[in-house]
Amino acid sequence: MKKIFNKITVLSLAAIALFASCSKEYSNPNAASQPDVFASPKGITGVAVSLQRSYSLGVHSAMMSSCGLSTNEALIVNVGNVSEALLFNGGASVDGNNGLLGLVWINNCKVVYDANTVIDAAVRNIPDAGYRSGVIGYASIFKALAYGNLSMYWESVPDTIGAPVTTPSTFIPRSQGYTKAVATIDRALAFIAASPISATFTSDVPAGIDIVNTLQALKARYALYAGNIATALTAANAVDITKTSVMNYDALNPNPVFITVTSSNNIYQPLDSTLGLPLTLRPALTDARIPFYTTIATSTPRYRMNGFWNATTRAIPIYLPDEVRLIRAECLLRQATPDAAGAKTIIDAILQQAPAADALGVGASIAAGYTGTVDVPNLLNEVYRNRCIELFMSTNRLEDVRRFGRPNAETKRKNFPYPFRERDNNPNTPADPAF
Amino acid sequence: MMKVNLMRTSKWKNLLMVFLFCISVSAIVAQVKIVGKVSSKKGTQPDGISVQVKNTRFGTATDNVGNFAFNADIKNGNYTLVFSGVGFETSEVAFTVSGKEVVVNAVLTEAAASKLDEVIVTGTSAGTTRKQLGSYVATVKAEDLNKGVPSNALQALQGKTAGAQITQNSGDPAGGLSVRLRGVSSVNSSSEPLYIVDGVIVNNSSPRVTNTQGNYDGGNFVGVVGQSRIVDINPADIERIEVLNGAAAAAIYGSRANAGVIQIFTKRGVSGAPQITFTSNVMFSSLRKKLDVNRAATKFGGPTDGPTAQTQDILTPTLTNTTAVSRYDYQDLIFGNATGTDNNLSISGGNDNTKYFFSGSYFFNQGIIRNTDFQRFSFRSNIDQKINKWLSLNLGLNYVNSNANEKPDGNSFFSPMNAVTILGNFHDLQSRDGLGNLKTIGNLGRVNPITVIDDFKQKNTTNRILTNFGVKLKPIQNLTIDYTMGIDNYSQNGTTFMPPFAYNVNAAFFGGGTTTTDPSLNGYASAGSSNFFGINHDLNATYTTNLNKDITSVTQVGFSQQYERNTFLLSQGRGLAPFVQTVNGASTIIAGSDSRSELSISGTFIQQNFKYRNQLFVTGAIRRDASSVFGADNRNQVYSKANLSYVLSSTEYWKKLGVSKWWDLAKVRIAYGESGNLTGIGAYDRFNTYQASSFGSRTALNSSSTLANTNVGPERQKEIEFGLDLSFLKNRVTFTLNVYDKKVNDMLLNRFIAPSTGFSSLLDNIGNLQNRGFEMVLTGMPIKTKDFSWEITGIYNHNRNEVLNIGASLIQFGTNGGAPVALIQGQPAGVFYGTFFMTGSGGNFSKASNGLPNHSGLVLSPAGIPRTAYGVQNSVLGYTQVDFVAGGPAGQGNPAPGSTLLRKVIGDPNPKYTTTLTNEFNYKKLSLRFQIDATYGNSVFNADFRTRQGVGNGKIAELEQSGQLPRGYISGFSTTATVPTGIYAIEEWRVDDGSNVRLRELSLSYSVGKVGKFLRDLSVNFSGRNLIVWTNYIGYDPEVNAGGQSTLLRGIDFGTVPIPRTFSFGIQAKF
Repeated sequence: MKKIFNKITVLSLAAIALFASCSKEYSNPNAASQPDVFASPKGITGVAVSLQRSYSLGVHSAMMSSCGLSTNEALIVNVGNVSEALLFNGGASVDGNNGLLGLVWINNCKVVYDANTVIDAAVRNIPDAGYRSGVIGYASIFKALAYGNLSMYWESVPDTIGAPVTTPSTFIPRSQGYTKAVATIDRALAFIAASPISATFTSDVPAGIDIVNTLQALKARYALYAGNIATALTAANAVDITKTSVMNYDALNPNPVFITVTSSNNIYQPLDSTLGLPLTLRPALTDARIPFYTTIATSTPRYRMNGFWNATTRAIPIYLPDEVRLIRAECLLRQATPDAAGAKTIIDAILQQAPAADALGVGASIAAGYTGTVDVPNLLNEVYRNRCIELFMSTNRLEDVRRFGRPNAETKRKNFPYPFRERDNNPNTPADPAF
Repeated sequence: MMKVNLMRTSKWKNLLMVFLFCISVSAIVAQVKIVGKVSSKKGTQPDGISVQVKNTRFGTATDNVGNFAFNADIKNGNYTLVFSGVGFETSEVAFTVSGKEVVVNAVLTEAAASKLDEVIVTGTSAGTTRKQLGSYVATVKAEDLNKGVPSNALQALQGKTAGAQITQNSGDPAGGLSVRLRGVSSVNSSSEPLYIVDGVIVNNSSPRVTNTQGNYDGGNFVGVVGQSRIVDINPADIERIEVLNGAAAAAIYGSRANAGVIQIFTKRGVSGAPQITFTSNVMFSSLRKKLDVNRAATKFGGPTDGPTAQTQDILTPTLTNTTAVSRYDYQDLIFGNATGTDNNLSISGGNDNTKYFFSGSYFFNQGIIRNTDFQRFSFRSNIDQKINKWLSLNLGLNYVNSNANEKPDGNSFFSPMNAVTILGNFHDLQSRDGLGNLKTIGNLGRVNPITVIDDFKQKNTTNRILTNFGVKLKPIQNLTIDYTMGIDNYSQNGTTFMPPFAYNVNAAFFGGGTTTTDPSLNGYASAGSSNFFGINHDLNATYTTNLNKDITSVTQVGFSQQYERNTFLLSQGRGLAPFVQTVNGASTIIAGSDSRSELSISGTFIQQNFKYRNQLFVTGAIRRDASSVFGADNRNQVYSKANLSYVLSSTEYWKKLGVSKWWDLAKVRIAYGESGNLTGIGAYDRFNTYQASSFGSRTALNSSSTLANTNVGPERQKEIEFGLDLSFLKNRVTFTLNVYDKKVNDMLLNRFIAPSTGFSSLLDNIGNLQNRGFEMVLTGMPIKTKDFSWEITGIYNHNRNEVLNIGASLIQFGTNGGAPVALIQGQPAGVFYGTFFMTGSGGNFSKASNGLPNHSGLVLSPAGIPRTAYGVQNSVLGYTQVDFVAGGPAGQGNPAPGSTLLRKVIGDPNPKYTTTLTNEFNYKKLSLRFQIDATYGNSVFNADFRTRQGVGNGKIAELEQSGQLPRGYISGFSTTATVPTGIYAIEEWRVDDGSNVRLRELSLSYSVGKVGKFLRDLSVNFSGRNLIVWTNYIGYDPEVNAGGQSTLLRGIDFGTVPIPRTFSFGIQAKF
């Protein structure tokens, strides 16, 4: 009897042990949870700062490499960098597997997604109107930049970034992508017009960016790219070109182009003093912008990166004041009734400007100014030429090559294939362009 | 919080059946008392030895001093008593019953490994004999482990067990090892088995407290590099190792056994006079194979040497002029001969109540990279104490202090190997300026390997305590309860000091920048520390009872609770002040790290076993586990197992067959088991969180690129195994065969999603993975005489891994060494998927012994350079090659319109099979043992070979520089080309056959025997590891991996230190 009793005891214990269990919850001390972050103004601002962080440490340098190598601005130094080398080859070598293009796609989509969460949360959860307009204005800069970047690179862009995994986004033509960027800026400007940005907000984000000027400059840029000349001109005229907006770097977060490209001398360097332009458009040898952007080395490659990428703490501008002036000139030439003389005046001013006179130190110092024929086609050529020189490696050249109708021979690609990451997971991805 | 869940019907049924089965048997009053004493040949009085009257249900187990007594209801006559227990061969003693009491004593022989009656401890209190197991469990004993003088317990295990592929990932003196039991068992998490040392769950992670620089890996996927912490276990302390290959065997470990289990048992005291054992070895290691370097008399472009000399001339095809240069072999600068010693002193002894084993060990070994070494102090004490007849305690304490002097890991360009690999070998590295400083090397600001060897200081120190405490209770007859608590506590500290360079080094390598030596950037220092605390409690009860004359039942229940806490701290900076080696000397503080995690797991199990007449064994078990890592809905998991073993040779029928004279054993078995990975994701991975970082003197809260998923659950492995064990000619020939099919369902994958969702990946249970294969072990003893014996063991492992489903057709991983690692449905995990040589139709790519592509079968450009395959990629694996059309730069052709770069599977790092042949000869006091390991059919991504050609120190570069290959053969990129015309970018060129056969261990020992009064036994030995490797591999050694202990990154040769050839001489003395 005792034995049986033992057996029963053992088995009952077993049954209890088997079906009872302890469970514990541990909270994560290392990171902030999503609900907490978006419930507080400081949390929302923290995510907004991450937009600039991601843009200035990752997105911008990947854009520079891919655009520069594809448009003859840059020369590959070490073909062991496979993605870069394939972009430098261009044409059929560039496919959806290109790692660098994948980064550009992923990171820009990410910036748009995060900016959307910041803007939505600001509208809902920030009671202070001045602080709210600051958050929205600041985040909108990066959202507009990211939508603009995607539109510069790809013929079509996702319509709804942040679509659910199960129903991926459809695509819209790039012109509508630019329009979305402009609409983002308009919404931000409306918030700022209603209540100006508070000083509290400005001190909560890294120094260097003039929010309103930047919004106007980017609005001018993307309205022009979308073909909306009048809007572009109005916005460009609203920019104060004596002010600058830059992404600042410090020892902790150094200039990524300096560290990986200039300092290592192992990825790419400027092609040469032509800055990749064909014979007829090359900068004059006396153009002071060449020594601004390049230095000459005694070993190969002869031309080395300079400009905004020559030191760990060198700041990289979000736009250049003279980009705004060139947009004004281009708008005058492209508007319904072109104003060639007005455009020439602006171009002359840009050419004659000494480096010291420019807010960022970029000046041509060509006293003669523009000496060619004063008509719309020739002046447009001059605008293109000056954009290529003045905005060297600013990632705008791919769009410029298309907008100014430059021949395929002057570039390695005009549009990029869609990254496989998107195509494999989104059946709405359009067909790849041939070139 | 305690939760009591409702039982499900099926579980009820299982329990009910056992219950009914148990109570249906009634107890009968005994007639004869059988008493006796069991001792071993070594003079111990073993406890827990099962004693049973053969073919009856009557029996018991020995007490603490080897005594037993029980009553049996048997008639007068002749019977046999069967004695079996842990570590002993089963013994049968005949006796005759004629009165009320009979005395039977037995002397047991200590068991040799792989014998059928040997007892296996599979996580249960009492253990079980091999005979009963439905699954294969390998056991390796101390004498087999330590013959090759290994520095690491896992090294010792290489080639010794079936089903295990053990790879040494680095030739560093504390280099990590990877263990794959029956292939890759996960993708997202580790495929390393669970390690248990004397009941303590031992952490074998590889915390990265050195090689911590943010740009060390450029944010790339480097895998799991560094020491694996099992290096702290002193191999000389090990008594035996049991290896459980898959879920069929390891199901009882449930939630953490997905990748198998390796159980290590350390030595324990035996009663008798104190025995002192002293062993001392001295080791000599050297580079096994030196590579031939470029001897070309000229290079392209630039000055002969100096700061403007073009370091990568081959990669700059615009350079066509040549310059005469001197060539150097830099290998001599980094490699050296290494020595080491391994000393162990142990004392063991005790009496019937107290037994002890103490050991102290000092191990020191240099690496073949100059100025690298590893030393380990280890102390252990194992004490067993009997309190009374029903209670005993044991305590094990192990303190370990490990110190390594390292150099930066191979994945960085300032590691010793890579510093050499990325330099054209025409620079005079030893030339110094007037101040005695080294000079700038070439135009790319590279680090001089001499600086790495002489000036870089990288240290890794670990203090570790492993404690196990056990209680064993026998409150009533046939019931054993035991409790084990294990604590693993270590702190690992790493420091790095890269002094400011006296010459120009680029900022990415922690130099001062392009042309200047910016003091805010020059030099680097870091201090990292990882603290781990793990505690596990296991409470088990075993109840044995005889249900009737033929059937015995063993019921076990268990409860387990595990808790882990991890903290990691890192401080780092650059731009160092002179002489200061700590981060305090840094003018620029780089963002550090502070991370913490906690997790807990608890589980319960019940196992029921029935034995029928010592010939048929059936076992079933259910385990339920919960882990804090997963969300509430997936937290609790139930795992089941069942197995059956049928020993044909024990049946009456077999005895009548008449084969038993020469055929000793025939056993068939089948086992099924399930397991999971309740630590498969990080402690908090299921939440969407925002990581903070400093940016522009403000705090940025960064969103993750992975969309977290609170519904994520653990993976589940289901394994079925069939086996056969045979032995012939009085066990002189034995054969074991295991056939298995192991499937991982709900595989966790960081699956790619469309980036337009705002995230790049989603952590989800979407995959399936399968490993199928078989293992064979054949042992034979062709000669066995009084003086001479010859024993052969052959092990053959064949595993086919296949990724069945990953929710996409292809997932590619960007890796640091450029290896195009991919997961593809229908292919093995981690294949190399990349660009390849254009072969046209029917051609095949092959390489000459120097690595040059064989041109026959390839499509060449008019200049005679092989082309990259272009065409139409129809699917992940399907493509149509399309030849180039006329045109292109210098008439070299262009891809046809519509053609794209093609990709295919260009290599598989998983071997087709691995096999081991061991021969052991004993002649009187002399013994010779050698072990040959072979790995066949695995690919290695030889990144370094290709780099050597690009930078101009390899033999193919020599051919181009000396005009035997056209200029641009290696790298034909130019400013005007629109397609690559060289072979540098073709990934297939970097894939080598890693098949190799190696003389893994050689050992020659002579036992002198008793010397004088005090020396009971003296033996001397000479041994060697990795002495000879036969391979066609073009690099140093195919058995390395830059991805370290990574699951997915296998077979990548990128700056990894090759495995040295080691000789050792030693003595063993017993007092």
